[in-house]
Amino acid sequence: MNFLNAILLAGAAAFLIPLLIHLLNKRKVQTVRWGAMHLLKEVIKQRKRKLNIEQWLLLAVRIVIPIVLALCLARPVLTALRSFGLGKSSLVVLLDDSFSMRAPSAGGSPAERARVDIGHMLEAQPKGSDAQVVLAGGNARRLLDQSTSTLDVIPKQLSDSTNQSGPVKINDALQTAAASLFKSTSGSRELAIVSDFQASDWQSAADGAALPALESLLKQEPKPQVTFYRLASDLTENLSIASADLSALVVAQDQPIGMRVRIQNHGKRQWQDVAVHLEADGARLRTSRVSLPADGEAIISFTQAFDKVGDHSLAVRIEGDSFADDNGFYSVVQVRNQLNVLLVDGSPSTEPLEGAADFLELALTPYQSASASLKDLIRITKVEAKRLRETDFKGMEVVVLADVDRIQGNRLTELDKFVKSGGGLIIFAGPHCDLDWYNRDFFRKGEGLLPVGIKGMQRALSTSMPARIRQQRLTHPATLYFNDSRGGRLQDAEFQSWLEFDLAKETNVKPILELDRGTPLFIEKAHERGRVIFAATTADAEWSNLPLQAFYVPLMQRLVTYLATQSTISAWDQVGAPLRIVFPKDRVGREYTLTDPTGQTQVLKVNADADKALLESKPISTPGIYKLSQAGETHLLAYNLDPAESNLVALPTEKIKALADRHQASFVDSFEGWQKLDRTRRHGSELWQPFLMALLALLFFEVLLQQRIARG
Amino acid sequence: MATLSSILEAEDITSLHHLQLFARTVVEGFTTGNHTSPHKGFSVEFRQHRPYVQGDDIRRLDWKIFGRADRFYIREFDEETNLRATIVLDASGSMGYRGQKGVLKFDYARKIAAAMAYLLMSQQDAVGLITFDSKVRDFIPNQTRITHLHHILETMIKTEPGHDTDLAPVLESLAQRLKRRGIVILISDFFDDPAALLKAIGVLRKKGHEVIAMHLWDRDELEFPFGQWARFENLEQDEDFLLLDPATIRQRYLEVLKIFQEQLKDGFRKHQVDYLPLCTDESHAAALRSYLALRMR
Repeated sequence: MNFLNAILLAGAAAFLIPLLIHLLNKRKVQTVRWGAMHLLKEVIKQRKRKLNIEQWLLLAVRIVIPIVLALCLARPVLTALRSFGLGKSSLVVLLDDSFSMRAPSAGGSPAERARVDIGHMLEAQPKGSDAQVVLAGGNARRLLDQSTSTLDVIPKQLSDSTNQSGPVKINDALQTAAASLFKSTSGSRELAIVSDFQASDWQSAADGAALPALESLLKQEPKPQVTFYRLASDLTENLSIASADLSALVVAQDQPIGMRVRIQNHGKRQWQDVAVHLEADGARLRTSRVSLPADGEAIISFTQAFDKVGDHSLAVRIEGDSFADDNGFYSVVQVRNQLNVLLVDGSPSTEPLEGAADFLELALTPYQSASASLKDLIRITKVEAKRLRETDFKGMEVVVLADVDRIQGNRLTELDKFVKSGGGLIIFAGPHCDLDWYNRDFFRKGEGLLPVGIKGMQRALSTSMPARIRQQRLTHPATLYFNDSRGGRLQDAEFQSWLEFDLAKETNVKPILELDRGTPLFIEKAHERGRVIFAATTADAEWSNLPLQAFYVPLMQRLVTYLATQSTISAWDQVGAPLRIVFPKDRVGREYTLTDPTGQTQVLKVNADADKALLESKPISTPGIYKLSQAGETHLLAYNLDPAESNLVALPTEKIKALADRHQASFVDSFEGWQKLDRTRRHGSELWQPFLMALLALLFFEVLLQQRIARG
Repeated sequence: MATLSSILEAEDITSLHHLQLFARTVVEGFTTGNHTSPHKGFSVEFRQHRPYVQGDDIRRLDWKIFGRADRFYIREFDEETNLRATIVLDASGSMGYRGQKGVLKFDYARKIAAAMAYLLMSQQDAVGLITFDSKVRDFIPNQTRITHLHHILETMIKTEPGHDTDLAPVLESLAQRLKRRGIVILISDFFDDPAALLKAIGVLRKKGHEVIAMHLWDRDELEFPFGQWARFENLEQDEDFLLLDPATIRQRYLEVLKIFQEQLKDGFRKHQVDYLPLCTDESHAAALRSYLALRMR
């Protein structure tokens, strides 16, 4: 038991008053020489013992009344929890460091307030407590390697946080938090989820989706106390660049590259003449203006050509709203002289478009095929499978196998070396493929080049609908362009036959596109420094009408350019992820200089990682163009915010409370609320109300008892 | 020599001169007085004429009727007799209670008894006195002589209250002693077993005695006004006391008191006993006056 107004406890001494009155009354007994003794004896004859008890009870009640009154005024709190937890506690703060927490607000952004409030929370922890912070934005990670009892370290570490991470993956973050709490040895465990509860992150949980990590966390013993700590921004209007898609990942010199910019209005206000600037290599080139409806978007396109080979930056910026941090979008364009691609045709034909690789040749070199004056980036070398030599891979960046029955001997070995050293390989299926050989020698139980084993060939029944590409949000860099229907409708392609992959044992494969039958159409797997893409269909029109679709050209071009560039640099990445580049082994020990958008530099060293060399940085926290240089070799890297973070709409308070209730958690939205809650948990519930009730009951009882005694 | 003024105030004595006590029932008397006797004889109260029959006393012939009607008529008179009144005065310990207003209950009782004795003696009635506690202390037989009043008063003055009350055997022995019917005036607080008391009164009533019960109270006994803790010591028994908080039992005391009063009242009514509760803070003469007025109806 503890008291908030302990001084008023002195009032309990008032219990002496009725006691003294009682004792004085007894001392000042008057003597009455009485005649009607028989009447008095009759009164107390049967009640003497009962009367004595009742009188003592009355005295006790009268003594207790001032004591209870004093207790009530002293605001007692129950300290049962303290005795269990011995005061110390383990606190894990799951801090949403996603970009939306930076939204400006009257009292400071939620991120700023979170840092201050967490500082106060840590100050309020009992001596000997330990704490950890899990940064929940993007990929959840711990602020410190392990929980610390030196609590003042945490605010210092938090002050370095830029709060530009991607959306909160709440289950992942909760798992990390649960692991930290699980290690705790304190008697009391607390988890504070500090977030703006952005709807895009929390809506599914609020709608009833399970939070298994939180449910398993609540099963820990002792059970952690969970608090949903909401820090909201009052900003409701926000403009952002949702995406800026490049028409190609790699372009040739002087070849124009298109950029399609999608600008999103996340507010209820209409915007007119919003300026959109295009910047190339840091210089502003031109400005366009767009109007944005409420809760709507506008799309604007730019084209730009670069005359120098190398990496070039392209940035788009908008002006107008008060939350400017998400008003830019950065990309890197690789300008090359050419990309060398080897097409291996497994069933060549002298007839036009009858060979297995004919459509592919056309798609990869459209200008050359059309005899246009424009130059194709990709230069094709086409060989028949039977005439393939091991020296053909030399100087190539991507090799495409189209309906090749098998590759044997040194050619397979050379191809393996080619991919391992960073080359790209695309394998198209076809009727001539020897599936046994593919499974046995090409797949080699996961050791070979083929990303997955083949279960067999599937056909659409003549009576049923052909298979189509499943409609879904595309995340692979080679297919991002097709999320917008203007890039082409992938669902128009019809597939009559396809290979079914054996995915049961494969974990490192990444589907690029899937068929609506639940099987992948394109699948990708890393093979040391290189990558292999396996298509379940043919490159020609044998099994599908894919080559006849308008999107076939950009899709093939993108797959090829992706493979040609993925082992070096991508167009852009999201902040929150570290910079990771795999180099040939001979580069181990080399030092690279990374210059961030503000001009600050850091030196990164290439380290050995198994049989590779890996250059890795800490997670990138600021969007913009980064420069990685080493001995005259310079690469540009672009980092952007997750566009989902720009929609600042948060869950309504009622929904957060309901979510908290569902998970036996408490809800607070200010430090005062936290303090009150913390006081209740740590020191127990304030008991003045029950004491007041007890006081009233005692007063009532005293009156009743007095009347009862007087009645006799 | 004890005089009435040593007990009664002059004002009380004057007031009593104007009162007449009439017995409600006919009692036997041995001298003429204000009380009619069922025995016809010489008296001043004419009753009727009747024709003379042989053997009648010729002294009772009405010669005036004989002169007018030439017939012999005998004149009959109601014989007047004096009242035999016995005052039974409680001198038990409980009568020694002196209330918060300073009035001793026994003093008050003594005044009532003296007033009654004076009144009766002034009517030529034979007055006797018995004082008692658990037994009869003094017994003064009924006499009409005026010097007898002094004897009664002297006895009352020298009597002090004390000892236990035991009224029932006293009344039973009184019933044995009183050979002739008369009036018995009980002046007591009746702090005794009501059942035994009423039984003894029943014996008196069966012997034809009229009984007047003057029930004496102190205001404290009626209202129990004590506030602080008190040690109630029994006036009738040494070493008998109760230590208690009066406020806590007051309500119950008043209920028990009411039951006791009702019990006595009902018993007296049943035995046709005139019941007169008196409180020591009231004027005793005024209380007596109202009682006598009641009996004169």
